[in-house]
Amino acid sequence: MNFDLTQDQRLFKDSVTRLLDKYRALPAGHASYWLDGSAVRKDLEEGGFLSISTQQGYGPFEALLLVEAVAMLPQVVEVAASALVAPAVGAGDCRGPVALASTPVAGRPVRFLPGAATLIVDSGADVRAYDLAGINVPAVDTPFAAPFGIAPEFAAGAGRKLGASRKAFLQWRQVALAGEIVGAMQAALDLTVQYVKNRQQFGHPLGSFQAIQHRLSECAVLVHGARLSTYRAVLSGSASDAALACSYAQDAAARISYDTPQFHGAIGQTLEYPVHYWSYRLRALQGELDGVSTQGARAADELWPA
Amino acid sequence: MDLDWTPGHAAFRERVRSVIYDNLPSDWEDKSNGFDVGSDFVVAFARTFAPKLAKEGLLVPHWPKAFGGQDVDAWHHWILNEELWAAGEPRSYQYMSVNWAGPAIMQFGNEEQKKEHLGRISSGTLFYCQGFSEPNAGSDLASLKTRAEKTADGYIINGSKIWTSAASFADYCFLLARTGSEKRVISVFLIPMNTPGIKVNVIRGLQGAKGLHEVFLDNVRVPHSALLGEEHKGWNVMTHVMHNERIGAPRYALTLRGLDRAVQILSRKGRFKNNEVRSRAARVRAACEAARLMCCEVIDGRVKNKAPSALTNLARYAIVQSDRLACDFLGEFLHDELMANEDKVISAAYRRTNSSGIAAGSAEIQLNLVARNELQLPRD
Repeated sequence: MNFDLTQDQRLFKDSVTRLLDKYRALPAGHASYWLDGSAVRKDLEEGGFLSISTQQGYGPFEALLLVEAVAMLPQVVEVAASALVAPAVGAGDCRGPVALASTPVAGRPVRFLPGAATLIVDSGADVRAYDLAGINVPAVDTPFAAPFGIAPEFAAGAGRKLGASRKAFLQWRQVALAGEIVGAMQAALDLTVQYVKNRQQFGHPLGSFQAIQHRLSECAVLVHGARLSTYRAVLSGSASDAALACSYAQDAAARISYDTPQFHGAIGQTLEYPVHYWSYRLRALQGELDGVSTQGARAADELWPA
Repeated sequence: MDLDWTPGHAAFRERVRSVIYDNLPSDWEDKSNGFDVGSDFVVAFARTFAPKLAKEGLLVPHWPKAFGGQDVDAWHHWILNEELWAAGEPRSYQYMSVNWAGPAIMQFGNEEQKKEHLGRISSGTLFYCQGFSEPNAGSDLASLKTRAEKTADGYIINGSKIWTSAASFADYCFLLARTGSEKRVISVFLIPMNTPGIKVNVIRGLQGAKGLHEVFLDNVRVPHSALLGEEHKGWNVMTHVMHNERIGAPRYALTLRGLDRAVQILSRKGRFKNNEVRSRAARVRAACEAARLMCCEVIDGRVKNKAPSALTNLARYAIVQSDRLACDFLGEFLHDELMANEDKVISAAYRRTNSSGIAAGSAEIQLNLVARNELQLPRD
């Protein structure tokens, strides 16, 4: 075992960080439910980052590092499906942005569908990629800090059948989802830790109170555990590791999405303060793929088959 | 980054498993009374098993050759720990000798102490107990009151220790005593437990026969040579010990074994079809795997000679959390089986997971240390 990044991985991560740095500051008048990340995605695409997993000497692990780093931005950026899932299921050549869904899909809200060029779907029998050119996707308001659109109905047999199995599609979605969760959790935790160091009440920084210290420390354990579990899942390529990582991350997401706004007090409930960009995104991710209980049951199917 | 075991490490694990399998009696689960490491049976068993491990080169392979080891990396130590812990720790409390007593003596001991102690640890014949906690110094360890007065011939020690594992059969006590009036002016002494003036009482506990004791020290006279490391600087030794002890026992290894056994039982009885049960079992497994990865990250740091960090506290807390989930799972879904004590593995896992938050320092102290050293939160 070796927990250090290789030199190439470090250099890759550094170059991603440099590219993302200019997006970290919140734009003036940003106060909104979620921040559009199209400009970030365009930059990443033009820089060749979205195809990292198919480039010589790189693979899904580097794509996961990218997903995690991008998820730390306040903007919502479609990267996980394009950089990690699509190449892993034989759709690396499809046009992005990419949205992901499972049957029954028609009429259901799908994350990243507004603006998506391709929708990859587990049809119940196989995995299919649908080109969305010319298809109108109505956006839908949800309580989550992420863009959702209502999926259209596709004719039977439409779309392109991909080579990957439904199981592989699920596995890479679980890894990608866990990666997004890890990045968002880390960003929410970082912001909160900074806040409680500065905010004074009762004549002391909030962060000096043990009640708050312990809860944030527990959050730190969960974030790090989720990170390592997700790294393990992408490196092993095992279906059970993916289900376990996703279940752990979704469990942790529930906790972090509660505690991080909590320690901000009322300012954490405003649109002008940014913690909701991550905490309400985590709420969306917490329920994706049918949520943590289903992920656990899927992991059990892999670990302890009947 | 590479989170796979090397072929060499995997082969080592197989060898450890085979030696354990060849040496444990077939009725080990019952005879050990569900892996009670302080039971008379396990202690007596360890007195022949640990020397056998030593002969096989499987007790301290990660130690330098000069001290009876083979100079292999710390992963070997961790693999041994995982396999032995999962097997119910047939070394009894000698795991403490290997995990923290030996390393502290290697780091802080003089040549004579290294010769006396390390040779016997590496041959599998030495039990230690840890004289740290006192009736009024638990989490606030530095407030301990046991005092060592220096005299011309040595030290006279007076005071008492409590919650001491293995004290009634240990050969030595690794004792913290105050040698000055300021809070952290403390020294470490290695004291033979048969020294006149030491009295030990067993405290009946939930974790087994001799897991808890109180130790009274009444004018215990020890020579100057009993001092480990510099006088008054025992806090440094203690910090070194705690870093090794906190994740010394890979508790998740037995927890995972208990979980697998629980799933077998539930499946056999037709109760593992329920999705809630399946999902909860997997979430325990996920937490154990996360804890295991965090421990491995700490070991990776040791292999690379990195300075100890808050990762150890994060890992320890992850162990505590996964054990808590496991305890809840077993308590809820294997209630009847636990009541009937019909399976020693799940009973042992249930008992152990119930106490993880206390062993090796309370879980809340780990959180304090994460807050201070990882999150850099202010103290006041």
